Amino acid sequence: MTSVSRWVLVAYCIYLLLPLYWLMTMALRSNSDITGQFEVIPSNPTLANFAEIFSNPVWYQAFGNSLNYVVLNTLISICVALPAAYVFSRYRFLGDRQLFFWLLTNRMAPPAVFLLPFFQLYSSIGLFDTPLAVALAHCLFTVPLSVWILEGFMSGVPSEVDEMAKIDGHSFIYFFFRIFIPINRGAIGVTLFFCFMFSWVELLLARTLTGSVTKPIVVVMTRTVSASGLDWGVLAAAGALTVVPGIVVVWFVRKHLVKGFALGRV
Amino acid sequence: MINKPYNNRAWLGVLPVLLIVAFSAVIPLMTVVNYSVQDILDFNSRFYVGLDWYRETLQDPRFIEAFGRQVLFSLSVLAIEIPLGILVARGLPKNGAWTSVLLILLAIPLLIPWNVVGTIWQIYARSDIGLLGVGLNELGLAFNYTSNPTHAWLTLIAMDVWHWTSLVALLAFAGLTSVPPAYYQAAELDGASKWQVFRYVEMPRLGGVLVIAVLLRLMDSFMIYTEPFVLTGGGPGNATTFLSQYLATMAVGQFDLGPAAAFSVIYFLFILLFCWIFYNSVMVEDAEEPEGQRRD
Amino acid sequence: MANITLEELSFTYPGAAQPTLLPISVEIKDGEAFALLGASGAGKTTLLNLLSGLLVPTTGRILFDGVDVSEQSGSQRNLAQVFQFPVLYESLTVADNLAFPLSARKADNGLSGSDIKARVAKIAGELDIEHLLKRKPKALSLFQKQLVAIGRALVRPDVSVVLLDEPLTAVEPRTKWQLRQSLKRLQQELGVTMIYVTHDQTEALTFADRVGVMADGNILQTASPQEVYEHPAQEFVGFFIGSPGMNFVDITPGAGDNVYSHHGVASTAQRLGFRPEWAKLVKGAVAPELSKVSWSGTVTLNQVLGTQDGQPVGITTVMGDAGELKVRGPITGASGDKVVVVLDRFISFSNEKYMASHYND
Repeated sequence: MTSVSRWVLVAYCIYLLLPLYWLMTMALRSNSDITGQFEVIPSNPTLANFAEIFSNPVWYQAFGNSLNYVVLNTLISICVALPAAYVFSRYRFLGDRQLFFWLLTNRMAPPAVFLLPFFQLYSSIGLFDTPLAVALAHCLFTVPLSVWILEGFMSGVPSEVDEMAKIDGHSFIYFFFRIFIPINRGAIGVTLFFCFMFSWVELLLARTLTGSVTKPIVVVMTRTVSASGLDWGVLAAAGALTVVPGIVVVWFVRKHLVKGFALGRV
Repeated sequence: MINKPYNNRAWLGVLPVLLIVAFSAVIPLMTVVNYSVQDILDFNSRFYVGLDWYRETLQDPRFIEAFGRQVLFSLSVLAIEIPLGILVARGLPKNGAWTSVLLILLAIPLLIPWNVVGTIWQIYARSDIGLLGVGLNELGLAFNYTSNPTHAWLTLIAMDVWHWTSLVALLAFAGLTSVPPAYYQAAELDGASKWQVFRYVEMPRLGGVLVIAVLLRLMDSFMIYTEPFVLTGGGPGNATTFLSQYLATMAVGQFDLGPAAAFSVIYFLFILLFCWIFYNSVMVEDAEEPEGQRRD
Repeated sequence: MANITLEELSFTYPGAAQPTLLPISVEIKDGEAFALLGASGAGKTTLLNLLSGLLVPTTGRILFDGVDVSEQSGSQRNLAQVFQFPVLYESLTVADNLAFPLSARKADNGLSGSDIKARVAKIAGELDIEHLLKRKPKALSLFQKQLVAIGRALVRPDVSVVLLDEPLTAVEPRTKWQLRQSLKRLQQELGVTMIYVTHDQTEALTFADRVGVMADGNILQTASPQEVYEHPAQEFVGFFIGSPGMNFVDITPGAGDNVYSHHGVASTAQRLGFRPEWAKLVKGAVAPELSKVSWSGTVTLNQVLGTQDGQPVGITTVMGDAGELKVRGPITGASGDKVVVVLDRFISFSNEKYMASHYND
């Protein structure tokens, strides 16, 4: 750790924190206060913006809607990815490399390309404006990502574990659910982190596939205009609140985080 | 590495994944390819036009401009994020109380909804209410990103750096912490200078990780949509309209399905190319993992 | 090449209740092959880290050629280290790897490029790796990589001491002996002071001019392999060295005890220790010679190791009055037979410390 790197780190941390600080101060001031005068440190902090979000159903339902499809997506992705990752890590089979590559291409696909087709597809099967629609649409990216990350971790678990379970007379189901999955707790945590990292933050598809019923927070925030123009205070408060789930997720998986990045399978 | 037996029944395990991704990917893609070779006037009148839309798109001046802007943007952010990410990673303490705290701080920008990132920078950079905007103006710089294209570019780049450098830093950190302390000790005993330690002990470990970081950032920045949309809306004028936004406007706004679809396919093929390079680099890295147990 | 003196060296980790290393004083001669032998947790690694400058002593001093280097860093002490796994610069060729310690200090040692090349060629020749010079580490086997690592440690002609931390750990078993031989040969030819840390007694006893046996942060005995084997200064040394180690029997000879007094064994409680090959087995239930120390018992296990003069020889485990004893020699008696263990030679220990050797006449 040369001192140059240390200084860069310090400077970068300040660079990171400044906009976040600004977000917080905005969240604690009323809109009229913000447009009225410029202050670096708020002289009249208020929790009114947060109160607005917690009391106004448009806001808190939007948060709920977002969490809804994110959790749904994470569940589906992990459930579907676990057997696939297991199989990729333990066996070779016809077309395995090609399949793996094809999965990867989906993770890299530009969402813009899928806007229209998704809209038409989900409308036609009646899933438009349901959390399932967004959850499934995000699966396009999160499932390959999950398979990839899980496979990376699982390849590090020796196949002797499988054999021992077999010798002990356990069925495959028992082995998979009672032995193998618990061993891979860290991997599943990291996968959760990355699924969340994708699904919670995405806008384009979330906006396209939802209507008035399932409006997610990302949409509500991009449409916060009132008669007096954008309500900066409420917007900032909402923004601040969207950062919270992320922090919670990171906190829980912090021990395994570096290993996840080490596999390079972001 | 595990010696993997050959077993085609493994397809059973892969089936659920296949179904979901096929549903999410193959059908829409086929639709897009379908549209890209047809002229669709309305639901009932469609004409097969072959590669016309592709020709038109590739010659469309606005497409070419958007493409040019995209390349400039991607290269600019890459040029900053990669070195910066490495320096930040080198500055991080390898373990200790501060390490967890700093890692969490670094991870935060990666977990913020992309529109919120745009909003944060909107609030931050505005010349009337923003800390940065007002600050710069106080210093006499007449900064206004909504009307000045150069300022808009700079703000966008600054925002992307704020948003994504952490990814590079975390990847680089993971690479650096994988160096066993014995290597540092050996270099010290050899009398190596700080620069030599970086070049011969750290860089080789970082190499693999960096390829991944570069390709990921290249691909993701090529697809950027939300943040510039929220911050500048593509403006002033067209100044910050990149590829994704142009596509989105075409497809949804103007309902020119044919050209939009052709555009999509071209866009996708481009990404596919990067993806292929990425896949080969990572898989080659993995194949080199086991410590060469060759015969003498 | 330097001679190393440790003066009352001890080390306690900050915040630890007990010291890891108790005050140790030892002198290692210039050009000597010295082994530090001990089980895990004995303190060998801590001692190694003190020698290499990674740790600073809590008390005592370390002297290289009479100069106090306790506060100096590893590179200031001009030493080299070989680690448990090959530590090489992956992006450089073998030749550049070998040259690195020389070229990194070019400003100080004033060696020219051709001097360095010559030295690299010489070391590569000694190690028989000239054909690998142009390759990169990833194209080498573990054995070859460790050879290069050893080469890197030896390349500086003025290196003070080479520390080796269990260098055979990562190498495949069938090539371990080859590496051991190469190390021994190089040490003797180049006359480099080497300190070899290991838990494997075969490695220590075959490599070293002198062995320091460690346990619980202490060096129990520092002597030649022969000496350590024949005259262990402490019970632990007798027990740890040898495969199997010494047998121990507690005795309390009475005043008129003829057998023990015949051997000049004091009539206080003590332990007799004998190596399996210092005893022989006689079939039967009664001691044949009344002047020799012996015990009777029953054979429980015979482990045949080979033949001598057509007779099977090996290690016999006997259970009897003196507990479980192991005897090495011709196999006498099958499992369940009554035998007598007769000692030709033994050592008496008091409070775990060596007291005297006794031979049968």
